[in-house]
Amino acid sequence: MNSEGRLLELEDLRKWFEIRRGFLSSKVSYVKAVDGVTFTLDEGMAVSLVGESGSGKTTLGKTIIRLYEPNGGRIIFQDRDVTHLKANDLKWYRRMTGLVQQDPFGAFASHFTIFRSLEEPLLIHNTVKSKEERAEKVFKALEEVRLTPVEDFAYKYPHMLSGGQLQRVAIARAIILEPRLLVADEPVSMLDASVRIEILTLLRRLQERLRLGVIYITHDLATTRFFSEWALIMYAGHVMEKAFTQEILRNPLHPYTRALLTATPEPNPENRNRFKQVPPGEPPALIDPPKSCRFSPRCPRAFDKCFKEEPPEFEAASGHWVKCWLYERSEGK
Amino acid sequence: MGWLKTGSPKPSAGLKGVLREVLSYKSAVAGIVILLFLIGLSVYTVVTIPLPEAIQAWRSSEAWSRNPRNAQPEWIELFYGRKLPRTITVSLGEKASEVLREDGTLSVSWVIHFNYEYDDFPSEIIVFFNSSFVEKPVVDIYWIRPDGDEILLKKHTLRRPDDRLYLSNDLGLELRLERLFESKIGKKPNFTVTVEKGLFSEYSQDPRVLKGLYGMRFETALNKSDVLNAEVVIYGTVHGLAGTDHLRRPLIIGLLWGTPIAMSFGLTTALLTTALGLIIGTISGWYGGKIDTIIQRIVEINAVLPFLPILILLTTFYRIDLFVILLSVVVLSIFSLGIKGTRILVMQIKSYPYIEAAQAYGASNMRLILFYVIPKIMPPVVPGMISSVPGFVFLEAGLSYLGLGDPFLPTWGKIISDAQTNGAFYKGMYYWVLEPAFMLILTAIAFALIGMALERIVNPKLKEL
Ligand SMILES: Nc1ncnc2c1ncn2[C@@H]1O[C@H](COP(=O)(O)OP(=O)(O)OP(=O)(O)O)[C@@H](O)[C@H]1O
Ligand SMILES: [Mg+2]
Repeated sequence: MNSEGRLLELEDLRKWFEIRRGFLSSKVSYVKAVDGVTFTLDEGMAVSLVGESGSGKTTLGKTIIRLYEPNGGRIIFQDRDVTHLKANDLKWYRRMTGLVQQDPFGAFASHFTIFRSLEEPLLIHNTVKSKEERAEKVFKALEEVRLTPVEDFAYKYPHMLSGGQLQRVAIARAIILEPRLLVADEPVSMLDASVRIEILTLLRRLQERLRLGVIYITHDLATTRFFSEWALIMYAGHVMEKAFTQEILRNPLHPYTRALLTATPEPNPENRNRFKQVPPGEPPALIDPPKSCRFSPRCPRAFDKCFKEEPPEFEAASGHWVKCWLYERSEGK
Repeated sequence: MGWLKTGSPKPSAGLKGVLREVLSYKSAVAGIVILLFLIGLSVYTVVTIPLPEAIQAWRSSEAWSRNPRNAQPEWIELFYGRKLPRTITVSLGEKASEVLREDGTLSVSWVIHFNYEYDDFPSEIIVFFNSSFVEKPVVDIYWIRPDGDEILLKKHTLRRPDDRLYLSNDLGLELRLERLFESKIGKKPNFTVTVEKGLFSEYSQDPRVLKGLYGMRFETALNKSDVLNAEVVIYGTVHGLAGTDHLRRPLIIGLLWGTPIAMSFGLTTALLTTALGLIIGTISGWYGGKIDTIIQRIVEINAVLPFLPILILLTTFYRIDLFVILLSVVVLSIFSLGIKGTRILVMQIKSYPYIEAAQAYGASNMRLILFYVIPKIMPPVVPGMISSVPGFVFLEAGLSYLGLGDPFLPTWGKIISDAQTNGAFYKGMYYWVLEPAFMLILTAIAFALIGMALERIVNPKLKEL
């Protein structure tokens, strides 16, 4: 990987939420929602963040686009350290990044027309000066997400559109400033099954055409297959496994990844049996977690070491990292 | 909090839609009509009676000397079914005769006439002299009744060029008139013969107005250079549209000027307290943290502070004018409990995804508050503001009533206060209290009707009530 094509680098990124317990108590605890994530994303590539609810996917996504300020580690964007950007620099970073949220119905101010919603980013960044040019941009963005004829949609209010249409508008809004990086946080999980594929296909096409870096957050490993080059498997604030999507799907190494794969509805009866490998349970509380492998309490293959020490990331195969003591010996290779 | 739901269908958006909806409420239309009337009245007042003049006139006793004291409004006749006396003013005018006497002085006389066709006696008779002289002249004044009888009213020595003769207070005259009545009807009449009754009644047991052409003759001796003029004012018992008070001031001026004062006071305080409360509540809810804590504590303290006593205290310490009152009311009202509601709404809105989306595309806090949060919380705020106007109008009236109002401006509360201190109800001068009260209630109703309709529009659940 040369620095040229590199879009985003995360180095040991942490986002801990501070919580105070009790009235007037000065004792502070932390919810370690993102606890040491390292990853590199190239220009025009998509990475899937996969994990159970509460594993810190959203927090990581929001930290990357600096809706949250990290507590530790670094975010390098286009060779520029954006970890603690302020004011105008942060505003620049906002233009370079976009966000598509999970809930399309809540993503728009109900008192704005679609036109106004799309115009807002342009007004804020003042990238286009004249009104006509702004309108042109807005219409072009609507065309880009296939909401045509654009005049039919531009002057409607959000409540007049369906979930799928709103999500298209949300995508239009996210790309209208021509960002380089897009975070899509479960963009289809609240939509009707019939439109999910359409929206995902639309996102994928846009990503390829605009050479966008995309961080695609999902519960569902199955959709990552045709959506992303890379996959990160998250559990309790840690990245448990990262590799090419194809590689992870074909050759899952971490017991958690395997559990996730079996939890994914698959017609293949062979996979159904594997479901039993993971005992039921909840992800651990992230408030001051113990220094062990965070998956160990639920892991069917855990041994002594797993309960005592947190494993580092081992490169089990070329470009395939696993945070699991089972793969310690492959380190020697 | 139906208006907060994202995606809840809005039947009509924008100002036009709201206006159309407001007009679909008959009560709101009535409110708007009253409001337009009050606004029209305010504009008319401000244009036709400039404030300095109004204040000047309201405070001077001289300006109203030709008005009757405590006169009822003219339209009160409709209830009595009798023609009540208006004020009649007659000037001396041309001399009737002028004779040069041996000592070089002139013997002069004037005769004036006026018709009296009312069903009641006048309230007062005053002769206003306007003269210049070397030696104080003595003026003999005679009263000529329609039946031809002539009565000497007074031999009056002018003390000053602008001397006044208060005939009603003349006890000697009263006594002579009483004796005249006794001799005419043969016994004591059934009523106290006041000057007015003695001069205007038929010679009868009970007082009965003798209608017809009355006359007065003035006789005097003047030096050649002397000038004498006089105005006889026979005061009625009714005056104008609104009557007069104990200082002969026409209440209409107070009532008229009370309108713009009450409206601007009510609207300004409502607007300021609502807007500032909105801003403070929004800051509290949006920024949270220390600012929020401080604001919330102030609100809680403010809530237990007794509003009126503090206001009274303030107004006793400071020179009170309407502006100071307005400021005090605003300061005491902005940290109202309403802030808590705003704060909670803002906190709720802050957690909506569209705010986060806007942050992600770079919207500043300022922009978020102005364009994303405030418009969302405006719908319940506007009707609330309009509904709060009457409260402030009544507050100003109440303060005036307690004697804590602006001492110079004629306001409705001041009129009621005057009426109270002069025992208006006790003396049967109901108009004095009822007129300003009517204006107050009219204003309150106008705003309440509009506010209620708006409230129903933004909160459709109320429609069923
Ligand atoms: N603002 C916050 N303050 C405190 N704790 C938080 C905050 N946001 C998230 N958390 C906690 O951080 C952890 C990770 O949350 P996050 O929303 O990132 O998970 P997620 O993987 O996106 O889950 P889901 O799939 O349900 O969206 C959770 O335990 C959550 O309770
Ligand atoms: Mg999430």
